[in-house]
Amino acid sequence: MLRIGIDIGGTFTDFAVWKDDGDGYAQIESRKIPTSRPNFAEAVKRGIDEIVAELGYSDQAPLTVVHSTTVSTNAVIERSQPPVGLITTEGFRDILGLARLRLDKPVDLFNRRARPLVPRQNVFAVGGRILADGTEDRPLDEDGLRGALRTMLDRGLAGAAICFVNAYRYQQHEVRALEIARGEFPRLEVMASHEVWPQQAEYERAVLTLLNVYVKPLMQDYLHEIDGFLRSRYPEARLYLTKSNGGIMSVDEARRLPIHTLLSGPAAGVTAAQVLAEHVGIDHVLTFDMGGTSVDVSLVESGRPTTAGQAEVGDFPLMMPVTAVEAMGAGGGSVIGLDDRVLKVGPRSVGSSPGPACYGLGSDEPALSDAYFLLGYLPGDGLLGGRLSLDRDLAVRALQPLCERLGLDSVQVAESAVAVATSEMLAKITPFLARLGVSAGDLTMMIFGGAGGIHGPLLAEEVGIRRIVVPRIPSVFCAFGGLVSDMMHDAVRSVHGQRLGTDELVVGFAALAEEGRRWLAAQKVTELAAVRHVYLADMRYAAQSFTISVDVSAPQAGAMSVAAAEAAFHDQHQRLFDYCDREAPVSIDALRVRTIGPRARPAAGMLAERVGAAVPVGERDIRLNGAWRRVAVWDWPDLGTGWRCDGPAIVQQAIATILVPDGFRARVDGLGNLEMERR
Amino acid sequence: MDPVQTEIMKNRFSAMAEEAATLAYRTAHTTFVKQTQDFQVAVADLDGYFFAYPMQTGVVTGSGQTIAGLLKHFCAEQLQPGDVLISNDPFRTEGVVTHMMDIHMARPIFVDGRLACFAWSFIHASDIGGAVPGSISPDLYECFQEGLRIRPKKLVEAGRLNQDIVDILHDNSRIGEAIWGDLEAMMAAMRLLDRRINELCEKVGRAGFEQGVADVMAYAEMKARRAISGLTDGQYSFADRIEGDQNGADIEFRCRLIIRGDEAEIDYDGSSPQVRAAFNFTTGDRTHPFLCLALTHYIHTVEPDIPVNGGIMRPIRARAPRGSVMNATFPAAMGNRFVAVMRSYDTLMGCLNQAVPGGIVACGAGQAGIISYAWSPSGDGRQRVAVVEPFSGGSGGRVRGDGVDASDTMIAVLKSAPVEHVESEMPLVVRRHDLVAGSFGHGRFRGGASVAIELENRAPEAAITVRGLDRFRCRPWGVAGGTPGGNSLAEIDAPGQASRTVGRIKVLHLRAGDVLRMRSSSGGGFGDPFEREPDRVLRDVLDELLSREEAETIYGVKIDGDRVDAAATRQLRAAR
Repeated sequence: MLRIGIDIGGTFTDFAVWKDDGDGYAQIESRKIPTSRPNFAEAVKRGIDEIVAELGYSDQAPLTVVHSTTVSTNAVIERSQPPVGLITTEGFRDILGLARLRLDKPVDLFNRRARPLVPRQNVFAVGGRILADGTEDRPLDEDGLRGALRTMLDRGLAGAAICFVNAYRYQQHEVRALEIARGEFPRLEVMASHEVWPQQAEYERAVLTLLNVYVKPLMQDYLHEIDGFLRSRYPEARLYLTKSNGGIMSVDEARRLPIHTLLSGPAAGVTAAQVLAEHVGIDHVLTFDMGGTSVDVSLVESGRPTTAGQAEVGDFPLMMPVTAVEAMGAGGGSVIGLDDRVLKVGPRSVGSSPGPACYGLGSDEPALSDAYFLLGYLPGDGLLGGRLSLDRDLAVRALQPLCERLGLDSVQVAESAVAVATSEMLAKITPFLARLGVSAGDLTMMIFGGAGGIHGPLLAEEVGIRRIVVPRIPSVFCAFGGLVSDMMHDAVRSVHGQRLGTDELVVGFAALAEEGRRWLAAQKVTELAAVRHVYLADMRYAAQSFTISVDVSAPQAGAMSVAAAEAAFHDQHQRLFDYCDREAPVSIDALRVRTIGPRARPAAGMLAERVGAAVPVGERDIRLNGAWRRVAVWDWPDLGTGWRCDGPAIVQQAIATILVPDGFRARVDGLGNLEMERR
Repeated sequence: MDPVQTEIMKNRFSAMAEEAATLAYRTAHTTFVKQTQDFQVAVADLDGYFFAYPMQTGVVTGSGQTIAGLLKHFCAEQLQPGDVLISNDPFRTEGVVTHMMDIHMARPIFVDGRLACFAWSFIHASDIGGAVPGSISPDLYECFQEGLRIRPKKLVEAGRLNQDIVDILHDNSRIGEAIWGDLEAMMAAMRLLDRRINELCEKVGRAGFEQGVADVMAYAEMKARRAISGLTDGQYSFADRIEGDQNGADIEFRCRLIIRGDEAEIDYDGSSPQVRAAFNFTTGDRTHPFLCLALTHYIHTVEPDIPVNGGIMRPIRARAPRGSVMNATFPAAMGNRFVAVMRSYDTLMGCLNQAVPGGIVACGAGQAGIISYAWSPSGDGRQRVAVVEPFSGGSGGRVRGDGVDASDTMIAVLKSAPVEHVESEMPLVVRRHDLVAGSFGHGRFRGGASVAIELENRAPEAAITVRGLDRFRCRPWGVAGGTPGGNSLAEIDAPGQASRTVGRIKVLHLRAGDVLRMRSSSGGGFGDPFEREPDRVLRDVLDELLSREEAETIYGVKIDGDRVDAAATRQLRAAR
């Protein structure tokens, strides 16, 4: 079967192609097409057509398409969609405006909360109250609700979210409100919070529900276009979307709950790293995905991506399980400047257009990529396979004002800027690793995305990372992630304040696992292997208010118990915080079940060692540690399995340039990846 | 300043400080430290000024602190590698310690046998003994009621732990073991800093390290001076107060700010003497960060990427008279000092508003209420105590925009708990948690609105305490023609009885069905309300935070349906 993974980036739309079940990772093919704006679907459709035609597949053949999209993400960040409204419980009209009160920068006199997605005038507080134990303290004010819905329609709102206090567990008022809304106001797109993610915390749940309603029409249009195209051209095609939790879902699910796509792109990259780490045999991976404005990093520990219970999209909290990805400052477009007499890199970026000065696209501001170029790291004769040649004079001219102010030449300024950027990454990554309790020496850095091949190795050198892997298809790695992601569903039940015995625990988990099975069945996947469930409990010491998620999956059926869960909690607390108190009372706040429907994955597909030595395509002077070094330049496509070389050296691809630092030895492994290890 | 190395060393220092603070946070034991992050770890130069200070974890406002008042008790010859100094004595450390619940430690760091700098840490101990659990109550009036006091001592001498101190701590705190766990976490973080400093010196050489320290502090100083230069030269004064209890007089805060070129001098002469209540703090003879927070926040605001270190303090001199409420002497009580710190901030801000042409920010709600609830879950008399919500009020209107609703920026680190969490945790029903219409100070930029909370007790018997309240009589001031913010209010509704005003709450005993209704103070307005953009007035009207009548009478804006009547507005505004 033909499978295509697709990821839309700012400049290119990436395709990763798994042609045949017999093929392995080493046979995955890649393709890049300029991203089509504003109609992103154009490039997607064109790419699929080209791939199917070139590979000679019939239009009638089975085809799986897994798509990562940032259509919803961009809409949330830019707040580009028509207004929606919120219905909530009387007494809580400012649920959005108050947020969680806290402001992030306590020393800033002009500090403010982000503007809510919905202004107060479109928040309607409706009478009716369910208490924490489920008793109805006051009945739902149905006429008040009708009045609110009517006003929303009159004001031309596109949709409404309903979030009542305590509806994470007791949903009768939300259910009734939905009946009224859908029955009597069918023109209004309405969703209730328990349908989206029934976790305790009314503000965050209200935001989730709102965001889902907000991006739904847009995503429905977009998915309708892609799916409609597939249905008409390729009747045997199935479309899936990547999710923020690192899994995928059917297109129907994505239409109903597009909220799951908001952080799906970066998550797919981490899933790809996890799969490749298995093939290569690495336990702990630090991913390093550098773009124009920032670097995304994440951690795969013991073969598992790190999952966070909450993340942010634009100005908003996203309270659901997502693959944890952290953005650090400094990308290839970060501007080099001066503050008084001190050299700075970023946080401003020249962006992908006009880009760094050396691109010759009209920018006269020096960016980090200009520095790379002047230091010999980037080839002068062309990026993007020769489509973009770089202009040395423009880079020098852009740096000239800084040179004059500092009394240094342009190479010295460039070298200093790279050192400053490295130190900035050091300042961000050190606490990131400390927070997760891992040490740099145990990590392998996996570099993907366009720009990471230069600064990734420099940072690895600085923090003491000893091994680096650059996947053989680094520039379509996120698209590859879609190809290898499993069907994945997270379910939650908040049980805070309830006294759980083992029976309730087992019953609660069983219900969530059943929800997962039903979800999987609804995704209509044909090629699933054995379904797995991961059982997690959000637990804390009773005297604390923040929880940690503990894996309480029992090795054999029937072994699950509250005592075992508590023991697992103490163990994990010890691991995370070097401390636990086995006597202290423990509270379970929520049960979660992650249901995984594993899909077929490419095997490793080892490559044979290539016979005959490769020769460098040339030599280049690069600047390292304050001196020029003449180093060999290799063309990656020339390099077969078994190739080796000591750094310093440069390895080039059409899209990416990789710096092999002094003191590292590079080789191409059996899967075609470029690996570097400290000598 | 080396133009390249300055930034690189700044980042290196930041990396090690953040890493150490993260380690301390991860390994600390007590809930309080975990929850409120009331701790810190940093590195100070030989004079006691910080050059590496975290901004992502722990208390982030203390970078201007000096630990000289702790270090002065040990001459250089007495210090050895592996020593750890300890104290929680505000009086002997001259305000390094600002109340006794904060336990401070320092570790001299030696490089090649020579003293190079000091790692430092503090944690707020959730209980250091004394009259009440938690050691803090506004009513306590001398330090002996607030727990155990340890003068500057060596907790560890050349790697050997002084078990006597540990035992004394252990026996005098209600949670001695957990406190010791926190102290161990801080010591581990300081050991990490010791290692990182030595690694850095190996990499860049001792001279490179020392140059780096000098450079990053000079860089911060340069930026601080640049910010102060933007202020108008002159002498400014301002006064404000904390309200006294029924019989007590108000506590006066008087501040004078002198700006001369790129330097600032602050003094609090004429402020009230220290009080027999836990509102005091102490600052010693050195320039103490608590006396200059409004100015250092201003510097951080206009120079947002200023390196976080003691260099910011170099152009500033600040003092408060000995024996005053902000420089209290032995045996003053200090547990509940935060409102006094806030009011010092407000008075200095009152001066700054005169030094910045046109002003910067009006007064915020000026209180930092923490609502605690005590009940007996099983009815056997054994009590549980839990924090319900923080409770502050809007911040002042600002030259660049409206105040923040419901949070005074100075204590806006406080995070509220979800109502659903509160109701699952304790027998309370939260009836209301929202903004109060028409409650803010008016101006070209309005103040942040009051927040209201209504709590219905469902336990047979319970008690609520709220510490940190104020502004029941004095209103937060406006600036440049803005009107003052609103007052605080607290009332009890008991079933079958008329509402009863309770004023500034100490302890309220509640029966089932009693409802506590609180409304916070709010921020003052900034500038003339008649200059407010009509669209902003319209938005407040449509958001139902302002009535149409108020729009007309206070702002001179005529709202017609859902739009501004421009002609009528022009007329109204011209007619004044």
